[in-house]
Amino acid sequence: MEPDGSGAWRDVIKSFNDLHPETPVRMVEGPPATNTREDMYSTAFLSGAGGYDIVFCDVVWVPKFVAADWLMDLSDRLPAADRQDFLDEDLKAGSYQGRLYRVPAFTDAGVLYYRKDLVGDPPVTFDDLNKLAERFKDQNRLGFLWQGKQYEGLVTNFLEVLWGFGGDWIDAETREVFLDRPEALMALQFAKSTIGSISPPGVTTYTEEETRTLFQDGRAVFLRNWLYVWALAAREDAPIKGRVGLAPMVHAPGKTSAATLGGWGFAISRFTSNPEAAWKFVQFITRSDQLQNIHERLGRIPARKSLVPAEFQPILKAARARPAIPEYAQASDILQRWLSAAMSNRVSPEFALREAARETRLLLGP
Amino acid sequence: MKRYAWFIPALVLVSAVLVYPALRTLALSFFHMSLGNGFRLEFGGLDNFVRLIGDSRFQASLVETGFFTIVSVTIEFILGLLLALAVNGFVRYQGVVRTTLLVPWTLPTAIIAVLWGWIFNDQYGVLNELLIRTGLLRSPIAWLAGPNTAMAAVIIADVWKTVPFVFIILLAGLQRIPQDLYEALEMDGAGAWAKFRYVTWPYLMPFVFVSLTFRVIQAFAIFDLVYVMTGGGPGGATETVSLYAYQTLMRYLDLGYGSTIVVATVLLLAAVALGLYALLIRRYERLFQ
Repeated sequence: MEPDGSGAWRDVIKSFNDLHPETPVRMVEGPPATNTREDMYSTAFLSGAGGYDIVFCDVVWVPKFVAADWLMDLSDRLPAADRQDFLDEDLKAGSYQGRLYRVPAFTDAGVLYYRKDLVGDPPVTFDDLNKLAERFKDQNRLGFLWQGKQYEGLVTNFLEVLWGFGGDWIDAETREVFLDRPEALMALQFAKSTIGSISPPGVTTYTEEETRTLFQDGRAVFLRNWLYVWALAAREDAPIKGRVGLAPMVHAPGKTSAATLGGWGFAISRFTSNPEAAWKFVQFITRSDQLQNIHERLGRIPARKSLVPAEFQPILKAARARPAIPEYAQASDILQRWLSAAMSNRVSPEFALREAARETRLLLGP
Repeated sequence: MKRYAWFIPALVLVSAVLVYPALRTLALSFFHMSLGNGFRLEFGGLDNFVRLIGDSRFQASLVETGFFTIVSVTIEFILGLLLALAVNGFVRYQGVVRTTLLVPWTLPTAIIAVLWGWIFNDQYGVLNELLIRTGLLRSPIAWLAGPNTAMAAVIIADVWKTVPFVFIILLAGLQRIPQDLYEALEMDGAGAWAKFRYVTWPYLMPFVFVSLTFRVIQAFAIFDLVYVMTGGGPGGATETVSLYAYQTLMRYLDLGYGSTIVVATVLLLAAVALGLYALLIRRYERLFQ
């Protein structure tokens, strides 16, 4: 599990254990960095039995963990009523080759935050964003913040721009790679053009928290980030309280906007000695009342249609999952390295995308 | 027989945590075993090594790691030596100075990496603030955004952390040089340079060897500092060999090829350590013949 500073998870687990004293669940808290927790599970599962029974699972881990044969197939266990209520894209992201391995709990998506006291209506196209950021930025206020460090976040940011230009990265079904198409070049050129103009030069070193801090201090007009910022920006002590709006990410004229889907759910280890008890727990913790309870305490967005707050609905409709391939980590690293190389002027955007496409094709091979 | 029995616990422990994993890694480097083939153990002979030789990412990481090691260890050695010479002259308060200088070495690297990450931040960073206030810089630099400045930033952070290590070893070396040697040279009318050249340096040589060998090995295996500060970026400009090995083993789950990267790195380091030994210790022995 993630670190449980507030004790919210502990309380949910305690209420389960009170109901089922014969099969108590014990929580193991991991480090806050999600890829470190991914390693934690990988190490345990590589050594076979005796590790964790239940996995608090990120969307991008599913294909890899399933391909490694570490997760239990849950397709036939999930009741039809739940299948109806969970967000479709989240169910899809928890599946691999048509079978469900992860029950969604919380959803997330990339979104554009803006200062509604300054810009009024949110921008719709890339040009709008450019113009508005240019107009309202000044000495003490940056234009547009996003996450450009060489890490997974860079890929999620880039995908939203790429999809906004009508392009795509990889087709998980056919394993086709689209990175050397003109849309990808337009997307990279747009991202690169913001550096040093509407975005600070340091944007290529930022992760979520650096950009959130700057925006929340009132030092930027626009911010691309995840849904968690919404609750934090509305807090009593936030300098920008009541002056923030959220909108779907901008797109090219004639295209539609897209948000990268994030989110967490529960999966069961194939090595568990007690699948029935594990399933009971997964059902319990993904129940509406428990998700609502965690939502109130941690600000997480429940992945159930009946529980998604109204202001997030249009954004979650546009959410798209990253390609469900077992080699996701390698594909993401290839893209990260070449995007980052182009943005730091080590190579030209054309060269970066051509090489990224070539390496990705080599990886996915015939 | 009875005397040897005492070795058994240590032998078992070392075998379990050191010898066994090392041998297993060595064996795995000749096999294919990855997510791609369902973790089946298939003998591949030298396949992985051939792939390694043609792997441009491995070559790039080797160059970055080599550059990092040479530059940071050189700076650390010079600063550590100067500090040791200076502090060795202190008669009073030497304990206080020594302890204070050691503080960076005692901090966990991951925490230092986060700290330096903020120091180099272009908006909130202290470094830019200092440089701008003193008029050395006009507008803030995004240190970690450029390939060269990012490498410089990582080197600075590493130097800050490990100068104390070199310092304390060399100081220990200085303090065991017999004082009468200096007195004898003084009788002959030798100056400060001659004392350094003919007494301090040769007597210090074993300590130079120890500190350099340790530092080269640690620097070549650098992981935590880079992982936290830059993640290997921008564009792979600070990706070290251990970062690449970690990605291959843990994230790509390519256990065979990942082991090959590790084995190749160990062989390279062993060669460097032998080179250092030949260069420093053999010459040192000749000095006393």
